[in-house]
Amino acid sequence: MAKIRTGDITTHVQQLAAGAVGGAVPEGEPPVVVLVHGLLTDSLASHYFTLGPALSAAGMDTVMYDLRGHGRTDRPATGYRLENFVEDLALLLDGLGEHRPVHLAGNSFGGTVAAGFAAWHPGRTATVTMIEGEPPVAAWAGRIGDGLAHARRELVHEEAIDWIRERHGAHTARLSRAAGRILATTTLAEDVPAGRLIADDLSALRRPLFALFGGDSGLAAQAPELEARLTECRTAVLPGQGHSVLVEQPARIRDLVLDWVREHHARRSRTPAGAVG
Amino acid sequence: MTTEATTTTPRDADGNTVLARIVTVLRELPDAGLEDAEIGRDTLFHDELELESIDLVTLSGTLREIYGDRVNLALFIADLELDEIIALTVGQLADHVTASLRATAAEG
Repeated sequence: MAKIRTGDITTHVQQLAAGAVGGAVPEGEPPVVVLVHGLLTDSLASHYFTLGPALSAAGMDTVMYDLRGHGRTDRPATGYRLENFVEDLALLLDGLGEHRPVHLAGNSFGGTVAAGFAAWHPGRTATVTMIEGEPPVAAWAGRIGDGLAHARRELVHEEAIDWIRERHGAHTARLSRAAGRILATTTLAEDVPAGRLIADDLSALRRPLFALFGGDSGLAAQAPELEARLTECRTAVLPGQGHSVLVEQPARIRDLVLDWVREHHARRSRTPAGAVG
Repeated sequence: MTTEATTTTPRDADGNTVLARIVTVLRELPDAGLEDAEIGRDTLFHDELELESIDLVTLSGTLREIYGDRVNLALFIADLELDEIIALTVGQLADHVTASLRATAAEG
């Protein structure tokens, strides 16, 4: 288990080099993809058993890590603003000696972290993929603040966990209890909506962005606005899917992300050498 | 790679040896609290050991340290459906590891 010092905390990271799990290793420098998981019930495991092996087999260096407060990364009592999460990622890449611009792919809040990183570290970002995620604008902060405040009120009660167990089973109940523990022992619920934002016009997002949504999720309605505001933007809506589309449809998400990264990596690789030949 | 060439069984590919090794690894898994757990072939990772998916990541890394790249838990689990992961037993994992070791032994 690899742990790397990132500022005042230690971050758990798992790397799968291009070809580490089989598959062909391409010529030249492979692209590097960083996978960012979501809030509370999530960890790098969501990617480790879905996208991670596929990206590596497709010839991409793959980095997965646990966000602060989650998985096996430290859980400080405070410091959960978006800029803290973004800074952790910058320090993690420093610690790994990663100097290539990275292709970021984030699920849910991980997509928000990825978009924040792209806005504030454009030179280190190749592309951004948001899976059921939103850029860090004021409306997002309002929604996630309400959701986290509600979760914190409810998930600390054992009766609520029992109710979840009856309706959704023991697995979801256990995840909910773990989420309740994060909310009860940290300032995450106040910090996340109080962090740094970008302007509503999304002018801060200057890297190519790919937004994937489940058709039944409330977020899919944002697709047209993203396309209208960003110069390099692609969206895909998977019909019949909800917010957990990554877990429900890993193969389809994998194929879409692979195509996106391949296409942009080929374009970047051509650009500097193009003048010669 | 064919399966008929598994006439020789290297010592580390013996099913019971692998099972015993995995039980030891599970008992020593950091933060999982399984030091005194009863673990056998039929033990369920999810419902009985109450392992979180992040514990499976740690387990995967430990198995790779022991057996090398021949054993890849990430690929094994990536091929399973969510309900299959939830119903996964220690014995199933041991069988997968044993089969992976035998397959690579047969290749060589």
